[in-house]
Amino acid sequence: MKTLASLACLLFLVILSTQTAFADIAKPKPPEQQSKMLMSRRLEIVPDQKFDQARLQISQSDFQELRAALNGETGSNTTIAASIAQSPTRTIVAGALLFLSVSFAGVWLARRSSATRARKAIAAGVVVVAMLGAAAIITRGNAGPPPGWLSWKDLSKNFSQGKATSGRMVIEIVPDNPDSPGIKLLLPTKPKDGPAE
Amino acid sequence: MERTAELEVAQWSARRRADGARGFVVTLGVCVLAAAVLATWLPLQVSIITVFLFAGPHNWFEFRYFLMRLPARFGKSRKFFVTAFAGIGFLTVSYVSLPFVYQNVFWSNETWLVVLASWNTLLLAWLVVLIRLRAKQKRKADWTWTTPVLLAIAALNWLGPEFFSLALVYVHPLVALWFLDRQLKRTRPAWVGAYRRCLCALPLILAFMIWQLSQTPTLNDDNGLFWRITQQSGAQLLPQVSSHMLVSVHLFLEMLHYGVWIVALPLIGTGFWRFKTSQKKPARTVLLILGLVGVAILWFGFATDYTNTRDLYFTIAIAHVLAEAPFLLKTL
Repeated sequence: MKTLASLACLLFLVILSTQTAFADIAKPKPPEQQSKMLMSRRLEIVPDQKFDQARLQISQSDFQELRAALNGETGSNTTIAASIAQSPTRTIVAGALLFLSVSFAGVWLARRSSATRARKAIAAGVVVVAMLGAAAIITRGNAGPPPGWLSWKDLSKNFSQGKATSGRMVIEIVPDNPDSPGIKLLLPTKPKDGPAE
Repeated sequence: MERTAELEVAQWSARRRADGARGFVVTLGVCVLAAAVLATWLPLQVSIITVFLFAGPHNWFEFRYFLMRLPARFGKSRKFFVTAFAGIGFLTVSYVSLPFVYQNVFWSNETWLVVLASWNTLLLAWLVVLIRLRAKQKRKADWTWTTPVLLAIAALNWLGPEFFSLALVYVHPLVALWFLDRQLKRTRPAWVGAYRRCLCALPLILAFMIWQLSQTPTLNDDNGLFWRITQQSGAQLLPQVSSHMLVSVHLFLEMLHYGVWIVALPLIGTGFWRFKTSQKKPARTVLLILGLVGVAILWFGFATDYTNTRDLYFTIAIAHVLAEAPFLLKTL
Protein backbone atom coordinates (compact mmCIF):
# COMPACT_ATOMS: atom_id res chain seq x y z
CA MET A 1 0.00 0.00 0.00
CA LYS A 2 2.86 2.26 0.99
CA THR A 3 4.63 1.46 -2.25
CA LEU A 4 1.49 2.23 -4.23
CA ALA A 5 1.15 5.60 -2.49
CA SER A 6 4.81 6.39 -3.24
CA LEU A 7 4.32 5.46 -6.88
CA ALA A 8 1.20 7.62 -7.10
CA CYS A 9 3.13 10.56 -5.60
CA LEU A 10 5.98 10.02 -8.04
CA LEU A 11 3.55 9.88 -10.97
CA PHE A 12 1.88 13.07 -9.76
CA LEU A 13 5.27 14.78 -9.53
CA VAL A 14 6.23 13.67 -13.03
CA ILE A 15 2.93 14.95 -14.46
CA LEU A 16 3.35 18.22 -12.60
CA SER A 17 6.90 18.72 -13.82
CA THR A 18 5.80 17.98 -17.37
CA GLN A 19 3.16 20.69 -17.12
CA THR A 20 5.76 23.08 -15.73
CA ALA A 21 8.11 22.21 -18.53
CA PHE A 22 5.40 22.79 -21.17
CA ALA A 23 4.57 26.11 -19.53
CA ASP A 24 8.17 27.22 -20.09
CA ILE A 25 8.16 26.46 -23.79
CA ALA A 26 8.02 29.62 -25.81
CA LYS A 27 5.15 30.21 -28.20
CA PRO A 28 5.91 28.81 -31.63
CA LYS A 29 7.23 31.55 -33.87
CA PRO A 30 5.17 32.30 -36.95
CA PRO A 31 6.93 30.93 -40.02
CA GLU A 32 9.31 33.51 -41.44
CA GLN A 33 8.17 34.76 -44.81
CA GLN A 34 10.90 34.61 -47.37
CA SER A 35 11.46 36.78 -50.36
CA LYS A 36 11.16 35.23 -53.80
CA MET A 37 13.33 36.03 -56.80
CA LEU A 38 11.22 35.84 -59.93
CA MET A 39 13.17 37.02 -62.92
CA SER A 40 16.34 38.72 -64.02
CA ARG A 41 16.50 41.65 -66.43
CA ARG A 42 18.77 44.46 -67.48
CA LEU A 43 17.99 47.73 -65.68
CA GLU A 44 18.74 51.13 -67.15
CA ILE A 45 18.69 54.29 -65.08
CA VAL A 46 18.16 57.32 -67.31
CA PRO A 47 18.08 60.93 -66.12
CA ASP A 48 15.33 62.66 -68.08
CA GLN A 49 14.22 66.30 -67.85
CA LYS A 50 10.88 65.62 -69.52
CA PHE A 51 9.29 64.00 -66.45
CA ASP A 52 8.53 65.54 -63.08
CA GLN A 53 8.12 62.15 -61.39
CA ALA A 54 10.22 59.02 -61.33
CA ARG A 55 8.88 56.32 -63.61
CA LEU A 56 9.39 52.59 -63.62
CA GLN A 57 8.89 51.31 -67.15
CA ILE A 58 8.43 47.60 -67.72
CA SER A 59 7.51 45.89 -70.98
CA GLN A 60 4.15 44.20 -71.29
CA SER A 61 5.67 40.78 -71.87
CA ASP A 62 7.93 41.13 -68.83
CA PHE A 63 4.98 42.18 -66.75
CA GLN A 64 2.97 39.18 -67.90
CA GLU A 65 5.89 36.92 -67.13
CA LEU A 66 6.22 38.48 -63.71
CA ARG A 67 2.56 37.85 -63.01
CA ALA A 68 2.80 34.29 -64.23
CA ALA A 69 5.87 33.62 -62.08
CA LEU A 70 4.22 35.16 -59.04
CA ASN A 71 1.14 33.01 -59.58
CA GLY A 72 3.35 29.95 -59.38
CA GLU A 73 3.35 29.00 -63.02
CA THR A 74 6.40 27.24 -64.33
CA GLY A 75 8.67 30.21 -64.54
CA SER A 76 11.47 28.81 -66.59
CA ASN A 77 9.16 27.36 -69.21
CA THR A 78 7.31 30.64 -69.49
CA THR A 79 10.60 32.46 -69.84
CA ILE A 80 11.85 30.18 -72.59
CA ALA A 81 8.56 30.26 -74.46
CA ALA A 82 8.35 34.04 -74.21
CA SER A 83 11.98 34.41 -75.13
CA ILE A 84 11.62 32.26 -78.25
CA ALA A 85 8.44 33.99 -79.30
CA GLN A 86 10.10 37.39 -78.98
CA SER A 87 13.21 36.51 -80.89
CA PRO A 88 12.66 35.84 -84.60
CA THR A 89 16.44 35.87 -85.28
CA ARG A 90 17.20 33.13 -82.81
CA THR A 91 14.16 31.13 -83.87
CA ILE A 92 15.23 31.28 -87.53
CA VAL A 93 18.80 30.20 -86.73
CA ALA A 94 17.54 27.40 -84.47
CA GLY A 95 15.17 26.23 -87.19
CA ALA A 96 17.90 26.25 -89.83
CA LEU A 97 20.25 24.26 -87.58
CA LEU A 98 17.51 21.79 -86.76
CA PHE A 99 16.81 21.37 -90.46
CA LEU A 100 20.50 20.68 -91.11
CA SER A 101 20.56 18.26 -88.19
CA VAL A 102 17.61 16.25 -89.49
CA SER A 103 19.08 16.26 -93.01
CA PHE A 104 22.45 14.96 -91.85
CA ALA A 105 20.74 12.38 -89.64
CA GLY A 106 18.67 11.22 -92.63
CA VAL A 107 21.75 10.80 -94.78
CA TRP A 108 23.49 8.90 -92.02
CA LEU A 109 20.53 6.57 -91.46
CA ALA A 110 20.13 6.00 -95.19
CA ARG A 111 23.77 5.00 -95.49
CA ARG A 112 23.25 2.54 -92.70
CA SER A 113 20.10 1.06 -94.25
CA SER A 114 21.52 -2.43 -93.89
CA ALA A 115 21.00 -2.22 -90.14
CA THR A 116 17.84 -3.68 -88.62
CA ARG A 117 15.09 -1.56 -87.11
CA ALA A 118 15.97 -2.58 -83.55
CA ARG A 119 19.60 -1.69 -84.13
CA LYS A 120 18.56 1.68 -85.48
CA ALA A 121 16.48 2.35 -82.37
CA ILE A 122 19.39 1.35 -80.14
CA ALA A 123 21.70 3.54 -82.18
CA ALA A 124 19.35 6.50 -81.74
CA GLY A 125 19.35 5.98 -77.96
CA VAL A 126 23.10 5.64 -77.86
CA VAL A 127 23.46 8.81 -79.94
CA VAL A 128 21.47 10.80 -77.40
CA VAL A 129 23.33 9.41 -74.38
CA ALA A 130 26.73 9.69 -76.00
CA MET A 131 26.15 13.26 -77.06
CA LEU A 132 25.15 14.28 -73.59
CA GLY A 133 28.64 13.20 -72.60
CA ALA A 134 30.28 14.80 -75.61
CA ALA A 135 28.51 18.04 -74.87
CA ALA A 136 30.41 18.13 -71.60
CA ILE A 137 33.56 18.79 -73.57
CA ILE A 138 32.21 21.98 -75.01
CA THR A 139 31.36 23.44 -71.66
CA ARG A 140 31.68 27.12 -71.04
CA GLY A 141 33.27 26.18 -67.73
CA ASN A 142 32.20 27.64 -64.50
CA ALA A 143 32.42 31.25 -65.37
CA GLY A 144 29.64 33.55 -64.33
CA PRO A 145 28.77 37.15 -65.07
CA PRO A 146 31.08 39.95 -63.88
CA PRO A 147 30.50 41.35 -60.36
CA GLY A 148 27.28 43.36 -60.19
CA TRP A 149 28.81 46.53 -58.71
CA LEU A 150 30.96 47.10 -61.81
CA SER A 151 27.88 48.06 -63.81
CA TRP A 152 26.84 50.69 -61.29
CA LYS A 153 30.19 52.15 -60.26
CA ASP A 154 29.79 55.18 -62.52
CA LEU A 155 26.13 55.78 -61.72
CA SER A 156 26.56 59.06 -59.81
CA LYS A 157 28.99 60.46 -62.39
CA ASN A 158 26.76 59.44 -65.30
CA PHE A 159 23.69 60.73 -63.54
CA SER A 160 25.23 64.14 -62.95
CA GLN A 161 26.28 64.26 -66.61
CA GLY A 162 22.81 63.23 -67.76
CA LYS A 163 24.02 59.89 -69.11
CA ALA A 164 22.30 56.53 -68.79
CA THR A 165 23.71 53.65 -66.70
CA SER A 166 22.64 50.05 -67.08
CA GLY A 167 23.26 46.65 -65.52
CA ARG A 168 21.62 43.40 -64.52
CA MET A 169 18.76 43.47 -62.06
CA VAL A 170 16.78 40.80 -60.25
CA ILE A 171 13.10 41.39 -59.59
CA GLU A 172 12.37 40.19 -56.09
CA ILE A 173 9.01 40.04 -54.36
CA VAL A 174 9.41 40.65 -50.62
CA PRO A 175 6.81 40.10 -47.87
CA ASP A 176 4.57 43.04 -47.02
CA ASN A 177 6.11 45.43 -44.50
CA PRO A 178 4.17 48.52 -43.33
CA ASP A 179 7.42 50.29 -42.34
CA SER A 180 9.04 49.95 -45.72
CA PRO A 181 8.49 52.30 -48.68
CA GLY A 182 6.50 50.89 -51.59
CA ILE A 183 9.25 50.00 -54.04
CA LYS A 184 12.93 49.82 -53.18
CA LEU A 185 15.86 49.67 -55.61
CA LEU A 186 19.04 48.18 -54.12
CA LEU A 187 22.21 48.78 -56.08
CA PRO A 188 25.43 46.88 -55.33
CA THR A 189 28.46 48.97 -54.39
CA LYS A 190 32.17 48.20 -54.52
CA PRO A 191 33.35 46.37 -51.39
CA LYS A 192 35.58 48.56 -49.24
CA ASP A 193 37.31 45.62 -47.58
CA GLY A 194 36.73 41.91 -47.35
CA PRO A 195 34.94 39.74 -49.84
CA ALA A 196 31.49 41.23 -49.44
CA GLU A 197 30.22 43.32 -52.31
CA MET B 1 55.64 -29.05 -61.22
CA GLU B 2 56.54 -25.97 -63.24
CA ARG B 3 52.97 -25.78 -64.54
CA THR B 4 51.52 -25.87 -61.02
CA ALA B 5 53.82 -23.03 -60.00
CA GLU B 6 52.70 -21.00 -63.01
CA LEU B 7 49.05 -21.63 -62.14
CA GLU B 8 49.66 -20.52 -58.57
CA VAL B 9 51.36 -17.35 -59.75
CA ALA B 10 48.46 -16.65 -62.12
CA GLN B 11 45.92 -17.23 -59.34
CA TRP B 12 47.92 -15.02 -56.99
CA SER B 13 48.07 -12.16 -59.48
CA ALA B 14 44.34 -12.54 -60.25
CA ARG B 15 43.58 -12.36 -56.51
CA ARG B 16 45.80 -9.30 -56.21
CA ARG B 17 44.04 -7.61 -59.09
CA ALA B 18 40.65 -8.39 -57.53
CA ASP B 19 41.84 -7.02 -54.14
CA GLY B 20 43.12 -3.90 -55.85
CA ALA B 21 39.81 -3.37 -57.64
CA ARG B 22 37.93 -3.89 -54.37
CA GLY B 23 40.13 -1.35 -52.59
CA PHE B 24 39.66 1.09 -55.46
CA VAL B 25 35.87 0.70 -55.39
CA VAL B 26 35.69 1.11 -51.58
CA THR B 27 37.89 4.24 -51.66
CA LEU B 28 35.89 5.66 -54.55
CA GLY B 29 32.59 4.97 -52.78
CA VAL B 30 33.75 6.56 -49.52
CA CYS B 31 35.06 9.66 -51.34
CA VAL B 32 31.86 10.07 -53.37
CA LEU B 33 29.64 9.73 -50.31
CA ALA B 34 31.82 12.13 -48.29
CA ALA B 35 31.62 14.67 -51.13
CA ALA B 36 27.83 14.30 -51.28
CA VAL B 37 27.47 14.78 -47.49
CA LEU B 38 29.75 17.84 -47.39
CA ALA B 39 28.11 19.43 -50.43
CA THR B 40 24.66 18.91 -48.92
CA TRP B 41 25.57 20.03 -45.41
CA LEU B 42 27.49 23.30 -45.94
CA PRO B 43 27.40 24.09 -49.66
CA LEU B 44 28.61 27.69 -49.64
CA GLN B 45 31.37 27.27 -47.08
CA VAL B 46 32.66 24.03 -48.59
CA SER B 47 32.55 25.58 -52.06
CA ILE B 48 34.82 28.43 -50.93
CA ILE B 49 37.31 26.06 -49.31
CA THR B 50 37.24 23.57 -52.19
CA VAL B 51 37.93 26.18 -54.86
CA PHE B 52 40.65 27.77 -52.72
CA LEU B 53 42.48 24.51 -52.12
CA PHE B 54 41.95 22.49 -55.26
CA ALA B 55 41.17 24.73 -58.24
CA GLY B 56 44.80 25.58 -59.01
CA PRO B 57 46.33 22.16 -58.27
CA HIS B 58 43.70 20.36 -60.38
CA ASN B 59 44.62 22.62 -63.31
CA TRP B 60 48.28 21.77 -62.81
CA PHE B 61 47.54 18.03 -62.79
CA GLU B 62 45.42 18.41 -65.90
CA PHE B 63 48.17 20.40 -67.61
CA ARG B 64 50.65 17.70 -66.70
CA TYR B 65 48.36 15.00 -68.08
CA PHE B 66 47.91 16.89 -71.34
CA LEU B 67 51.68 17.35 -71.65
CA MET B 68 52.08 13.64 -71.14
CA ARG B 69 49.55 12.83 -73.82
CA LEU B 70 51.01 15.29 -76.30
CA PRO B 71 53.00 13.42 -78.95
CA ALA B 72 56.65 14.37 -79.38
CA ARG B 73 56.02 14.87 -83.11
CA PHE B 74 52.55 15.62 -84.41
CA GLY B 75 53.09 13.69 -87.67
CA LYS B 76 49.70 12.67 -89.07
CA SER B 77 47.96 14.43 -86.18
CA ARG B 78 49.37 17.86 -87.13
CA LYS B 79 46.06 19.06 -88.61
CA PHE B 80 44.16 17.85 -85.58
CA PHE B 81 46.42 19.57 -83.06
CA VAL B 82 46.70 22.80 -85.07
CA THR B 83 42.88 22.98 -85.22
CA ALA B 84 42.69 22.14 -81.53
CA PHE B 85 45.16 24.81 -80.39
CA ALA B 86 43.80 27.45 -82.76
CA GLY B 87 40.29 26.78 -81.46
CA ILE B 88 41.40 26.87 -77.82
CA GLY B 89 43.21 30.17 -78.42
CA PHE B 90 40.41 31.88 -80.33
CA LEU B 91 37.57 30.68 -78.12
CA THR B 92 39.44 31.53 -74.91
CA VAL B 93 40.32 35.05 -76.05
CA SER B 94 36.78 35.74 -77.27
CA TYR B 95 35.31 34.33 -74.06
CA VAL B 96 37.61 36.33 -71.77
CA SER B 97 36.84 39.49 -73.75
CA LEU B 98 33.07 39.12 -73.23
CA PRO B 99 33.02 40.67 -69.70
CA PHE B 100 35.00 43.68 -71.00
CA VAL B 101 32.57 44.12 -73.89
CA TYR B 102 29.73 43.79 -71.39
CA GLN B 103 31.16 46.67 -69.36
CA ASN B 104 31.89 49.02 -72.21
CA VAL B 105 29.20 48.41 -74.82
CA PHE B 106 25.51 48.75 -74.24
CA TRP B 107 23.66 45.93 -75.92
CA SER B 108 20.12 44.83 -75.28
CA ASN B 109 19.39 41.60 -73.46
CA GLU B 110 18.43 39.99 -76.78
CA THR B 111 21.72 41.00 -78.41
CA TRP B 112 23.61 39.44 -75.52
CA LEU B 113 21.69 36.22 -75.96
CA VAL B 114 22.61 36.20 -79.67
CA VAL B 115 26.29 36.80 -78.78
CA LEU B 116 26.20 33.98 -76.24
CA ALA B 117 24.46 31.63 -78.67
CA SER B 118 27.01 32.50 -81.37
CA TRP B 119 29.92 31.70 -79.06
CA ASN B 120 28.35 28.38 -78.12
CA THR B 121 27.77 27.60 -81.80
CA LEU B 122 31.41 28.34 -82.64
CA LEU B 123 32.37 25.95 -79.87
CA LEU B 124 30.14 23.24 -81.32
CA ALA B 125 31.45 23.86 -84.82
CA TRP B 126 35.01 23.52 -83.54
CA LEU B 127 34.04 20.25 -81.90
CA VAL B 128 32.48 18.95 -85.13
CA VAL B 129 35.70 19.70 -87.02
CA LEU B 130 37.82 18.01 -84.34
CA ILE B 131 35.62 14.91 -84.34
CA ARG B 132 35.80 14.65 -88.12
CA LEU B 133 39.59 15.01 -88.09
CA ARG B 134 39.89 12.38 -85.38
CA ALA B 135 37.46 10.07 -87.20
CA LYS B 136 39.74 10.14 -90.25
CA GLN B 137 42.50 8.66 -88.11
CA LYS B 138 40.24 5.91 -86.83
CA ARG B 139 39.09 4.18 -89.96
CA LYS B 140 37.03 1.52 -88.20
CA ALA B 141 34.97 3.94 -86.13
CA ASP B 142 31.92 5.62 -87.63
CA TRP B 143 31.38 8.94 -85.89
CA THR B 144 29.19 10.46 -88.62
CA TRP B 145 26.21 10.52 -86.23
CA THR B 146 27.91 13.16 -84.11
CA THR B 147 27.33 15.86 -86.74
CA PRO B 148 23.49 15.76 -86.68
CA VAL B 149 23.49 15.43 -82.90
CA LEU B 150 25.77 18.44 -82.47
CA LEU B 151 23.65 20.41 -84.94
CA ALA B 152 20.54 19.56 -82.91
CA ILE B 153 22.32 20.72 -79.73
CA ALA B 154 23.29 23.93 -81.52
CA ALA B 155 19.63 24.46 -82.45
CA LEU B 156 18.55 24.02 -78.83
CA ASN B 157 21.31 26.40 -77.80
CA TRP B 158 19.76 29.13 -79.96
CA LEU B 159 16.43 28.65 -78.27
CA GLY B 160 17.85 29.10 -74.76
CA PRO B 161 21.53 30.05 -74.79
CA GLU B 162 21.70 30.74 -71.07
CA PHE B 163 20.11 27.40 -70.17
CA PHE B 164 22.40 25.63 -72.58
CA SER B 165 25.44 27.21 -70.92
CA LEU B 166 24.13 26.36 -67.47
CA ALA B 167 23.55 22.74 -68.49
CA LEU B 168 27.15 22.56 -69.64
CA VAL B 169 28.41 23.97 -66.34
CA TYR B 170 26.84 20.97 -64.65
CA VAL B 171 27.97 18.44 -67.23
CA HIS B 172 31.60 19.60 -67.49
CA PRO B 173 32.79 18.06 -64.20
CA LEU B 174 31.68 14.65 -65.49
CA VAL B 175 34.27 14.77 -68.27
CA ALA B 176 36.90 13.93 -65.64
CA LEU B 177 35.09 10.63 -65.01
CA TRP B 178 35.39 9.86 -68.72
CA PHE B 179 39.14 10.58 -68.61
CA LEU B 180 39.42 8.27 -65.60
CA ASP B 181 37.60 5.55 -67.50
CA ARG B 182 40.01 5.83 -70.43
CA GLN B 183 43.04 5.87 -68.16
CA LEU B 184 41.81 2.79 -66.28
CA LYS B 185 41.32 1.01 -69.57
CA ARG B 186 44.94 1.75 -70.43
CA THR B 187 46.62 1.01 -67.13
CA ARG B 188 44.18 -1.06 -65.00
CA PRO B 189 41.78 -2.84 -67.36
CA ALA B 190 40.75 -5.23 -64.58
CA TRP B 191 39.22 -2.32 -62.65
CA VAL B 192 37.12 -0.92 -65.49
CA GLY B 193 34.10 -3.14 -64.81
CA ALA B 194 34.02 -2.29 -61.10
CA TYR B 195 34.48 1.40 -61.89
CA ARG B 196 31.62 1.45 -64.37
CA ARG B 197 29.36 -0.31 -61.87
CA CYS B 198 30.27 2.42 -59.37
CA LEU B 199 29.32 5.04 -61.91
CA CYS B 200 25.81 3.59 -62.01
CA ALA B 201 25.39 4.72 -58.39
CA LEU B 202 26.08 8.33 -59.34
CA PRO B 203 22.61 9.09 -60.77
CA LEU B 204 21.08 7.52 -57.65
CA ILE B 205 23.15 9.74 -55.35
CA LEU B 206 22.25 12.79 -57.43
CA ALA B 207 18.56 11.85 -57.40
CA PHE B 208 18.69 11.41 -53.62
CA MET B 209 20.38 14.80 -53.18
CA ILE B 210 17.81 16.51 -55.41
CA TRP B 211 14.95 14.80 -53.57
CA GLN B 212 16.34 15.82 -50.18
CA LEU B 213 17.18 19.40 -51.11
CA SER B 214 14.39 20.36 -53.50
CA GLN B 215 12.21 21.71 -50.66
CA THR B 216 14.99 23.43 -48.72
CA PRO B 217 14.81 27.21 -48.32
CA THR B 218 16.87 29.46 -50.54
CA LEU B 219 20.44 30.03 -49.35
CA ASN B 220 21.14 33.35 -47.70
CA ASP B 221 23.18 35.04 -50.42
CA ASP B 222 23.19 38.65 -49.22
CA ASN B 223 26.98 38.39 -48.98
CA GLY B 224 28.54 39.28 -52.34
CA LEU B 225 30.62 36.13 -52.46
CA PHE B 226 27.71 33.86 -51.60
CA TRP B 227 25.65 35.60 -54.27
CA ARG B 228 28.35 34.87 -56.85
CA ILE B 229 28.36 31.20 -55.91
CA THR B 230 24.58 30.86 -56.18
CA GLN B 231 24.57 32.69 -59.52
CA GLN B 232 27.23 30.38 -60.85
CA SER B 233 25.01 27.42 -60.01
CA GLY B 234 22.07 28.96 -61.88
CA ALA B 235 20.00 30.47 -59.07
CA GLN B 236 19.26 33.51 -61.21
CA LEU B 237 18.14 31.48 -64.20
CA LEU B 238 16.08 29.07 -62.14
CA PRO B 239 14.47 31.19 -59.45
CA GLN B 240 11.81 28.55 -58.78
CA VAL B 241 14.43 25.96 -57.80
CA SER B 242 16.02 25.92 -54.36
CA SER B 243 19.44 27.58 -54.58
CA HIS B 244 20.62 25.21 -51.84
CA MET B 245 19.94 22.29 -54.15
CA LEU B 246 21.63 23.94 -57.13
CA VAL B 247 24.78 24.88 -55.23
CA SER B 248 25.01 21.47 -53.53
CA VAL B 249 24.65 19.51 -56.75
CA HIS B 250 27.15 21.69 -58.58
CA LEU B 251 29.61 21.53 -55.71
CA PHE B 252 29.28 17.75 -55.50
CA LEU B 253 30.10 17.41 -59.19
CA GLU B 254 33.01 19.83 -58.87
CA MET B 255 34.42 17.87 -55.93
CA LEU B 256 34.28 14.70 -58.02
CA HIS B 257 36.06 16.54 -60.83
CA TYR B 258 38.84 17.75 -58.54
CA GLY B 259 39.09 14.34 -56.86
CA VAL B 260 39.58 12.56 -60.16
CA TRP B 261 42.34 14.89 -61.37
CA ILE B 262 44.21 15.32 -58.08
CA VAL B 263 43.77 11.93 -56.42
CA ALA B 264 42.40 9.19 -58.65
CA LEU B 265 44.32 9.68 -61.88
CA PRO B 266 47.78 10.13 -60.30
CA LEU B 267 47.28 7.19 -57.92
CA ILE B 268 45.87 4.51 -60.19
CA GLY B 269 49.10 3.76 -61.92
CA THR B 270 52.41 4.71 -63.33
CA GLY B 271 50.87 5.50 -66.69
CA PHE B 272 49.77 8.87 -65.43
CA TRP B 273 53.33 9.96 -64.69
CA ARG B 274 54.99 8.59 -67.81
CA PHE B 275 55.94 11.06 -70.53
CA LYS B 276 56.68 10.22 -74.11
CA THR B 277 60.37 9.41 -74.04
CA SER B 278 61.17 11.56 -77.03
CA GLN B 279 59.65 14.71 -75.55
CA LYS B 280 62.01 17.56 -74.83
CA LYS B 281 62.69 17.31 -71.12
CA PRO B 282 63.91 20.87 -70.36
CA ALA B 283 60.93 22.54 -72.08
CA ARG B 284 58.54 20.23 -70.25
CA THR B 285 60.16 20.96 -66.89
CA VAL B 286 60.05 24.71 -67.49
CA LEU B 287 56.35 24.51 -68.36
CA LEU B 288 55.57 22.48 -65.25
CA ILE B 289 57.51 24.90 -63.02
CA LEU B 290 55.63 27.81 -64.61
CA GLY B 291 52.43 25.93 -63.84
CA LEU B 292 53.45 25.61 -60.18
CA VAL B 293 54.20 29.34 -60.05
CA GLY B 294 50.72 29.94 -61.48
CA VAL B 295 49.18 27.81 -58.71
CA ALA B 296 51.12 29.78 -56.07
CA ILE B 297 49.95 33.09 -57.59
CA LEU B 298 46.38 31.82 -57.57
CA TRP B 299 46.62 30.91 -53.88
CA PHE B 300 48.09 34.32 -53.13
CA GLY B 301 45.23 35.95 -55.04
CA PHE B 302 42.63 33.90 -53.16
CA ALA B 303 44.21 34.84 -49.85
CA THR B 304 44.29 38.54 -50.78
CA ASP B 305 40.95 39.02 -52.54
CA TYR B 306 38.98 35.82 -52.78
CA THR B 307 35.93 37.12 -54.65
CA ASN B 308 37.68 38.87 -57.51
CA THR B 309 40.30 36.13 -57.86
CA ARG B 310 37.50 33.60 -58.07
CA ASP B 311 35.81 35.58 -60.84
CA LEU B 312 39.06 35.94 -62.72
CA TYR B 313 39.94 32.28 -62.27
CA PHE B 314 36.62 30.96 -63.52
CA THR B 315 36.83 33.18 -66.59
CA ILE B 316 40.37 32.16 -67.56
CA ALA B 317 39.71 28.53 -66.63
CA ILE B 318 37.69 28.19 -69.83
CA ALA B 319 41.02 27.37 -71.52
CA HIS B 320 41.45 24.13 -69.55
CA VAL B 321 37.85 23.18 -70.20
CA LEU B 322 38.33 23.63 -73.93
CA ALA B 323 41.63 21.73 -73.85
CA GLU B 324 39.82 18.68 -72.50
CA ALA B 325 37.99 18.21 -75.83
CA PRO B 326 40.92 17.33 -78.12
CA PHE B 327 42.74 15.30 -75.49
CA LEU B 328 39.64 13.29 -74.68
CA LEU B 329 39.10 12.69 -78.39
CA LYS B 330 42.69 11.44 -78.66
CA THR B 331 42.02 8.85 -75.97
CA LEU B 332 38.95 7.48 -77.78
